[in-house]
Amino acid sequence: MQLRWLIPLGAAAALPAYHAAYAVQYLSVEQAQRAAFAQADGFVDVPLALTEAQRRALDQGEAALSISAPKIWQARAGQKNLGWLIVDQVIGKAEAISYALALDADGKIIALDVLEYRETHGAEIRLPAWRKQFLGKTAQYPLRLDNDIRNISGATLSCRHLTDGVRRLVQLYAQVLKPTSG
Amino acid sequence: MQLLRARPWLGTLVEIRVDGLAEADAVAATDAAFAEIATIHRCMSFHEPDSDLARLHRARAGSAVQVDPHTWNVLQTALVFAEESRGCFDPTIAAQLVAWNFLPRPRDSGEPDPAASWSNIELLPESQVRLHRALWIDLGGIAKGYAVDCAIRILRNAGATAGGVNAGGDLAVFGAAAQTVHVRDPRAPQNTLPLLELRDAAVATSAGYFERRRAATGWLGPHVHGKRRGAVGTHSSVSVIAPSCMHADALTKIVLADARIAAKLLPRYGAQVCRYDSQRGWRTLRGE
Repeated sequence: MQLRWLIPLGAAAALPAYHAAYAVQYLSVEQAQRAAFAQADGFVDVPLALTEAQRRALDQGEAALSISAPKIWQARAGQKNLGWLIVDQVIGKAEAISYALALDADGKIIALDVLEYRETHGAEIRLPAWRKQFLGKTAQYPLRLDNDIRNISGATLSCRHLTDGVRRLVQLYAQVLKPTSG
Repeated sequence: MQLLRARPWLGTLVEIRVDGLAEADAVAATDAAFAEIATIHRCMSFHEPDSDLARLHRARAGSAVQVDPHTWNVLQTALVFAEESRGCFDPTIAAQLVAWNFLPRPRDSGEPDPAASWSNIELLPESQVRLHRALWIDLGGIAKGYAVDCAIRILRNAGATAGGVNAGGDLAVFGAAAQTVHVRDPRAPQNTLPLLELRDAAVATSAGYFERRRAATGWLGPHVHGKRRGAVGTHSSVSVIAPSCMHADALTKIVLADARIAAKLLPRYGAQVCRYDSQRGWRTLRGE
């Protein structure tokens, strides 16, 4: 164990601070595909065409606010269906999360990986203008956690709304992806 | 290559980073580390109805309950800290956290005995546990650190040259290069401060100001003094640096509860402390 303090101890004086609105990039979509389906030799785009009724049913998740339609791939080994990888986003009270849900051929969850996390500031996110600015400026506005501030102790990253998003995707599977019998 | 992943476990977002492995091996190593964390989560969750804790809470006082070896290990360390801190650290403070709505009321469980404490938990051989009074156990003050230690061990054994695990602020790093650790700035929690540089060590931070709530009787928060059963650390932040993240995690609560008792324990665990309060700013706490 080796330790070097970076703050002047005993001083309540001004300390250098970083704005903590940050974005963290974890796995890329391709990495998430390979991580969940190591045996796959291809990922086939599944275009998502929802009826208005299906869309309304899916949007009834309590707090999660989807900012775009989920993207879906079917993992294949030859002609065999290994399962699906679905990439979706949720925006909740304090965080914007892009995540990948992997389902096996029977629709059972096999992996849930966060792809990108952005800490946001409460109600601002619900303002369309602010949201637009936020989404357009990810490269310059938030600090990249993996480059600049990698380890944050005592900053609990919240992911409450992820469960709402996952619940919605499980419904999406049942309504749209699940092979009908016969 | 470096691989950085995050999954929701332990009530937070757990980040795992590995360096020095090919992608397939890095994926396998992080998969294994996440699987271990998932197991620990399922055993020691206060919320999940099938966890070891939920089964202990449902069991009749005096009966022996079989638990996972992980749960037994963490309970054993928790009881050592409870004894060494003269009860400042107490895993049975869940009753207060439920009363203050920081934890949900366990289902199908009777009321805890108000006189119950850590000394009513008996560890039996072969991963069995007996509660001598009705009580509720919360391992939130120690299990995250334990999960970080277990995950780090898996990454090291997989041959990673460097890496790190961060479970909502309880974090550990390994590898040749020193890594900078930041903490939330208690004066402006939306900002972070570079706190220290670290090699092969763990840091845990406990700060109550983020979740504190004012009640008629005073401030309430997520950290409870084991003996007085009042909230501690609602206006301060404590970071403990130690070789083990589990030790660092538990020690933060003891520093918040009683710094004089904590000072006596620091050398035993190779730990150092940095704390903040609004009157005196950032200070270390010297071990005795």
